Amino acid sequence: MKRSTYVKKIVASVLCSAMTIFMVGCGGSGKETSTTNAAQTTANNVTNSTTGDENVVIKMTWWGGQTRHDQTQAVCDLYTSQHPNVTFELSPSGWDGYFDKLSTQTASGSMPDIVQMDYLYLTTYAKNDSLTNLQEFIDNGTIDVSNIDANLLQTGSVDGKMAALVLSTSLLNVGYNPDVLAEAGVAEPTSEWTWNDFVTMCETVYNTTGKYGVSMDSVADTNIFHYWVRQHGGKLFSDDNKSLGYEDDQIFIDFVNMWNGLMSKEAMPDPDEYAQIATLGQEAGPVVTGDAAAIFEWNNYASKVSSVNDKIKMITPPLPDFSDAKGLWMKPGMFFAVANTSNVKQEAAEFINWFVNSEEANDILMAERGTPVSSAVRQHLIDGGNMGAQQVAMFEGITSAVQLCGETPAPDPAGISEVNEAFERAANSVYYGQTTVEKAAESFRKEANIILARNN
Amino acid sequence: MKKKNTKKAPYKRADNIAGYLMLTPWLFGFVLMWFIPMLISIYYSLTDFNLLNTPSFIGIGNYIRAFTGDQTFWQALKVTFVYVLFLVPLRMAFALFVAMLLNKNHKGLGLYRTLYYIPSIIGGSIAVSVVWKQIFGNQGVAMTLLNAIGIHQKTSFLGNVHTALGVIILMGVWQFGSSMLIFLSALKQIPHSLYESAMVDGAKPWKIFTRITLPMLTPTIFFNLILQIINGFRVFTESYVITDGGPLDSTLSYVLYMYRRAFTYFDMGYSCALAWILVAIIGVFTVILFKTQGSWVHYEAGRE
Amino acid sequence: MGMHKKKTIHSILFHTGACLLGFIMIYPLLWLLASSFKSNETMFLNPYSLIPDVWDAAKNYASGLEGVGGVPFWRFLLNSMEVTVVGMVGCVITSLFAAYAFSRIRFRFGNFWFGCIMMTMMIPAQVMVVPQYIILKKLNLIDTKVALILPWFFGGAFFIFLMVQFFQGIPKELDEAAEIDGCGRVATLFQILVPVVQPAIITSSIFAFYWIWQDFFQPLIFMNSPKNFTIPLALNMYLDPDSYNNYGGLFAMSIVSLIPIIVFFIIFQRYLVDGIAMDGIKG
Repeated sequence: MKRSTYVKKIVASVLCSAMTIFMVGCGGSGKETSTTNAAQTTANNVTNSTTGDENVVIKMTWWGGQTRHDQTQAVCDLYTSQHPNVTFELSPSGWDGYFDKLSTQTASGSMPDIVQMDYLYLTTYAKNDSLTNLQEFIDNGTIDVSNIDANLLQTGSVDGKMAALVLSTSLLNVGYNPDVLAEAGVAEPTSEWTWNDFVTMCETVYNTTGKYGVSMDSVADTNIFHYWVRQHGGKLFSDDNKSLGYEDDQIFIDFVNMWNGLMSKEAMPDPDEYAQIATLGQEAGPVVTGDAAAIFEWNNYASKVSSVNDKIKMITPPLPDFSDAKGLWMKPGMFFAVANTSNVKQEAAEFINWFVNSEEANDILMAERGTPVSSAVRQHLIDGGNMGAQQVAMFEGITSAVQLCGETPAPDPAGISEVNEAFERAANSVYYGQTTVEKAAESFRKEANIILARNN
Repeated sequence: MKKKNTKKAPYKRADNIAGYLMLTPWLFGFVLMWFIPMLISIYYSLTDFNLLNTPSFIGIGNYIRAFTGDQTFWQALKVTFVYVLFLVPLRMAFALFVAMLLNKNHKGLGLYRTLYYIPSIIGGSIAVSVVWKQIFGNQGVAMTLLNAIGIHQKTSFLGNVHTALGVIILMGVWQFGSSMLIFLSALKQIPHSLYESAMVDGAKPWKIFTRITLPMLTPTIFFNLILQIINGFRVFTESYVITDGGPLDSTLSYVLYMYRRAFTYFDMGYSCALAWILVAIIGVFTVILFKTQGSWVHYEAGRE
Repeated sequence: MGMHKKKTIHSILFHTGACLLGFIMIYPLLWLLASSFKSNETMFLNPYSLIPDVWDAAKNYASGLEGVGGVPFWRFLLNSMEVTVVGMVGCVITSLFAAYAFSRIRFRFGNFWFGCIMMTMMIPAQVMVVPQYIILKKLNLIDTKVALILPWFFGGAFFIFLMVQFFQGIPKELDEAAEIDGCGRVATLFQILVPVVQPAIITSSIFAFYWIWQDFFQPLIFMNSPKNFTIPLALNMYLDPDSYNNYGGLFAMSIVSLIPIIVFFIIFQRYLVDGIAMDGIKG
């Protein structure tokens, strides 16, 4: 009898302590409710101090490759050497899993103080109040935005709050291999070229050399389509983000038909062929190796592949044949955001300001995150003479493209990644011959509207 | 069920104590790392929860949505069923066959075991992804072979909506090493004396296989069957790494879809509902198998 | 003589078939190995070739071993070793006890708990990770190796089920006799049953080693500081689809990270020998 109650006690206490943890877990706020685990949970409540010269720890996370990890580490070390009271807990990550982890951390109230943020997810985080409104720190002079293009700055603003500060800018461009164009006897494109010129160029390249005119996945996301819709005077998303913003499905139909035409003329790989090409990574892409003429890419493409082929050039994407509407806009690259749950917001803002504006930080960072948003920093880097030719061309491209840019659209709505998926599926079902383009346009509209209505 | 058992024969107190003592480490972990999380995820499945907001209770809305308003759910379910249906028998038969071969006395068996186990080790790495795309992509070995025997087709096996899943299944079969290892260790446990006495009686190899090896293996076959079905329904890595669900969702496995819902589309509540629907499906299959094991699984120790 | 000849032909057939199959099995590994010798610039220009155009092995391995974010690669290797070995031992022992309980002891709610074990195998890990994170956070274990080891110390459904199946294959007379002899239950388990189910224990160890070693999702969510990262996390840090990638270093370190699993397997599979212990009973 004695022994059996002993067992019962063990089982009961195990269950009990576990249940306590459960209750605390569901409480969310982290307030003390338990008794048995008091010792463990009190350790949780030892938090960082807040202002002044007291010692603070800034937790920071970002995604990237080896170079970015090493550079960011070095920048933080430099900052600590100048501000001995500020130390960092850094959490570098690959792209894979970065946002899985961030959302898990956020769900349990432990988002790092500074997080690198992508345009895809910015709205979702901002709408759920996970991010600090940085306007406060811009207004009180902590973050200096005087050298940042006003339109670009606004891309971090969601529902009137500055949810994140843009770090780099990128521009939709066409990368091309001049050697392939020369072989085909086609003149290199200028910034005045149109979609007709583009299609003609692709067909000529194929007809004369047998190489792909363009090699890419045109529907992996909605970026190029967005550009196309703007050129037709429309918007991709409505003002309330609850539905698609363009009325006429002909816009979708023309877009898909153009690419489909190139594929059927074999001037462009079909999705199946491209899947195989994409396996090998950008550095071995056909444009780089001289097996294709052109690709739609972000403006840092030439710089990225320069170690393999330094001849690749970039040009702004084709203009419409049909209107004067300006499709292009300055797209934000990456952002830094500060967690709403952070205890060190002021210090985090000071660091971000230094990261974006200081010459010493950017001398280390070397524009690896993309074209820096600060025009002063860009000039400093060019003057420094350590930039590659492609990087200099990229900076200059940004400056000269401004006149081609129209109004900056609102940040992509919540649910954008699901909309992208629906778009890809709709377009691919045409490319695979499963359905007509009219039906695909219809089904994309239907699906996208459901997704947008659910998320916004 | 439980009550009937209790009536049949009372539990001995000493057995209860010994049983729970031995179970304690697992039990503690179960409650901490499984039971509580299960309760939380069931709760999430009844809420509108995007990971960033405070969950708001919506009853069984997520379950209704899955069954009535989500075509992708049915597509993912279909893909997963087809995958399980083909993968499980193929992989098991192959694993058993190779295990039998490797159970003989040949030189270099250790080497072969290692070679055959390697695919299970490198699982979902980039190398595997690149190599499989190489073999079944449109410039791949498979296409070249088909061309050589006069069959020409435009799309590759991985790019074709009708064959892409077949490639994924083939990859699953290719990773038969774990099943093989389990069969192999079970074969090792069959006493020599059984074979020896059968040889003395002059039994043919086929008869030895069906009368001795197979019955002695049934607990392991049962184990592998359950395991393969469970893991088959939970397939994720293969379709994530090789095709990312494409082309046109033809390889979109259930768990891949569930994962996207949770972390890409910020739809954790719905994703949890999907998870519990899957648990119910797998549970039904498992229970059926456990019910049937009395008629074909042979336990030396007798059944509990 | 004829018999002998037949045996030789048989043997040749066997080895030819086995080698052919072996090549198919191991091809991706060879590809990985070859790629880890290629230079970053030429790696994908001729991707299907197993012979590097430009040899860059030394640079790849050196740059990989340098590590990422100020943490040298051997640190990741040590972390993985520590987590894997401790986790594996804990997992196998806990599972062994649980399996013994389920297969040899009739206790109240035994079937219910076994059902629970089966259930833990069915739930996709992806939806459990958020609640598990919350619990580990409450226990103050986030970003500690304990967070990675502890779950394995509680045993694993797979291992328990596997061992139960093996125990069921052993006649009960074997251990009942021992118990009459006066052996306690634990002594019976270790002296009588463990030697018999040795293949199952070896198999479990091999699987546990591999699973803990290659686990990506849990460490990804539970660990923050690079100094605590395990190898799969470290390898992931080399990759960013949007920037120039050091594939050479990545592939080189992939090879390095596979060595322990393969070595472990080669050593342990030797112990997958015939279950001699049972012969005494059946004969």
